[in-house]
Amino acid sequence: MRNWLGDSVVAGVLAAALLLAATHGAAQAPVYRAPRTPDGKPSLNGIWQALNTADWDLQGHAASKGPVPSLGAVFAVPPGLSVVEGGEIPYLPAAAAKKKQNQANWTTLDPEAKCYLPGVPRATYLPYPFQIVQSPQTILMSYEYAGAVRVVNMGAPTKAPADSWMGWSNGRWEGDTLVVDVTSQLDSTWFDRAGSFHSDALHVVERYTPRSADTLTYEATIEDPKVFSRPWKISMPLYRRVEKDAKLLEYKCVEFAEELLYGSLRKKSSN
Amino acid sequence: MRTTLIAVVAAAGLVLAAVPVRAHHAFAAEFDQNKPIKVQGSVTKWELTNPHSWIYIDVKGETGNTVTWMIEGASPNNLYRLGLTKESLPAGSVITVEGYQAKDGSTRAVGRNIVFANGKKFFLGLTEAEGAPKEGTAPQ
Amino acid sequence: MGRRFLASTAALAAVVLIALLSQAPAAGQAPSSAAKATTAGKAWTPPRTPDGKPELQGIWSDNTLTPFERPKNLGAKEFYTDQEVVELAKRVREGRPGEEIEGAQLGAANPQAVRYDLELYGFDRTKLRYTSNRTSLIVGPEGVVPPMLPQARERNAARAAKNKGHEFDSHEQRPLSERCLLMGQEAIPMTPGANEGNLLQIVQGPGYVTLLHEIDHNTRVIPTDGRPHLPQNIRLWQGDSVGHWEGNTLVVDTTNFTNLTAFRGSSENLHLVERFTRAADDTMIYQFTVEDPATWAKPWTAEVPWTKTKGPVYEYACHEGNTMISTILRGARVAEEEAAKKGK
Repeated sequence: MRNWLGDSVVAGVLAAALLLAATHGAAQAPVYRAPRTPDGKPSLNGIWQALNTADWDLQGHAASKGPVPSLGAVFAVPPGLSVVEGGEIPYLPAAAAKKKQNQANWTTLDPEAKCYLPGVPRATYLPYPFQIVQSPQTILMSYEYAGAVRVVNMGAPTKAPADSWMGWSNGRWEGDTLVVDVTSQLDSTWFDRAGSFHSDALHVVERYTPRSADTLTYEATIEDPKVFSRPWKISMPLYRRVEKDAKLLEYKCVEFAEELLYGSLRKKSSN
Repeated sequence: MRTTLIAVVAAAGLVLAAVPVRAHHAFAAEFDQNKPIKVQGSVTKWELTNPHSWIYIDVKGETGNTVTWMIEGASPNNLYRLGLTKESLPAGSVITVEGYQAKDGSTRAVGRNIVFANGKKFFLGLTEAEGAPKEGTAPQ
Repeated sequence: MGRRFLASTAALAAVVLIALLSQAPAAGQAPSSAAKATTAGKAWTPPRTPDGKPELQGIWSDNTLTPFERPKNLGAKEFYTDQEVVELAKRVREGRPGEEIEGAQLGAANPQAVRYDLELYGFDRTKLRYTSNRTSLIVGPEGVVPPMLPQARERNAARAAKNKGHEFDSHEQRPLSERCLLMGQEAIPMTPGANEGNLLQIVQGPGYVTLLHEIDHNTRVIPTDGRPHLPQNIRLWQGDSVGHWEGNTLVVDTTNFTNLTAFRGSSENLHLVERFTRAADDTMIYQFTVEDPATWAKPWTAEVPWTKTKGPVYEYACHEGNTMISTILRGARVAEEEAAKKGK
């Protein structure tokens, strides 16, 4: 005789198992797997750009009046959410005071106004595109702003002979993530227009992870015991410039910063 | 062939002034040929910047006062290729500088010839055992 | 009589050149046999990048003693013999400081009255080399830049006249290189000298070839899909470059220059075609043709062998470290004040 109780128990267990499997599967969305370069690495090739206000201020901020009244709403400070994990940058007390001073005088102090090279990570989230050109031994990142560029060494790590504006980059792969270790940056760069700064002890570790066909997740861990009480991290998406024939154009801003830098040395016209 | 070459060279009249000036600026516009200097001092700072590096030296004046001179040098990139690093020139090194003072009258000069107290040429002297970089610090 | 002799020597030189192609060079004396494979000789098959394109990557130097234009007395002689090159190189090595040597572009080895001694920084005159047997980088029977058209002469003279007496008024009147806007060694086409700082790094990715100059970190990211140029109204200091492959040669076409770029006095109509061919493991032949109907009556071409060299390329942040322009302008202001005081 057919055991209907047993069958239904089996059916119930089977149903429960299927339901469990279904919910478990749905909770774990498949991780995006980027197309490979011809040498088998995840491809980060392309023109990318951040779409946020990180360059204005890494920390969350409301909109505020701009520094040039005659430009009104064209050049006021737009609002933005923090890109810093945890919200705030953990300054040491003396450094926090300096940051405030920087922010109050940013129009004269910000190296961006002078068209100085931005350093890392600021180069990534300036409001201009940059391009990644990937070869097996070398990954080159060319930034539209000021023609900034850096070469990421993908071979055995090497050491910098001296400090530089864009630092010294050694890279490696961790699964589908490009990890770039950046050392030896000069202390002359800022992180944003709000006066966030660092010392020559700065150490940055970046992570570039493809998250979809046209987006990357960009993370950077910042460590500087002379300025911050602990390491801290920023995170943001980077968007591919998908338009046909997208291209970096020249933003050789030296020309635009000269009056600011050398205007006082101009010959005074004789009256 | 040999005779041909000598004939060619001997026949050379005016040298062809063909190639555009490669130097990126006229040094004579920045420094004054009529203001030669020769100073000796100890190094306090070494700025490895482009297009020109700068060595800061403290020079003792006749009256006992100390004057800081800024000595302009070439691009440091060539020094890196010789194996030098930012650690290669410690503060306190004593150097003698022959050069020309800046046209604006400041205590800046282009360091035409820079030597150590023992007469050894400055940067080349560094790579020749004296103050040579530690093993492993020079990049590949 | 002398000219005929030279012409027949040139013909003989060409024959000798071809015959010598497979010969190993004497160390440090004659140019490498690979470098002789400029216009004559067998092609070399380069390795491929992972995406199947000719491998151009590496760090390259265009340092050479070969002068840009041919010394006048050589007439139509396009190539030296190996022996002549050896003699010339010897003269360079043994030459006195400041001595001009016909047929040699001494570049940084020429000491300037007011300047640091580059030998302090490792520049070694005895290491200068001829990288080909050419008598000039400009190819062809003339070996010199064609004469400038009258309209171009007038255009450039007018510009110079405007600046006359105002050369130190402000940063705007100073040369582009002094402003760190466009240094000589980053401008295109790439013309070398026997100087320091001629390094170029090539990085290739799918669909792009990137040229990174050490000087002023100038970077050209060139698409190799042969796409159309930017519209005419967009003008760039380095123009707009588009590339495509022809066999093993990368061909780069550049237009859309500004009218201030003025390569050798040319106009914004400058059209530049560059060709990159790897001739040997350690040699790249860089050939460029420029045309500008507003400046020269005909196009002209130069050919420069590049030599592979050890890296890395270091940062050269010109603008950030630019003290020279402020010192120069301040010096001019001081001189004016002193002159005014004397006048009183």
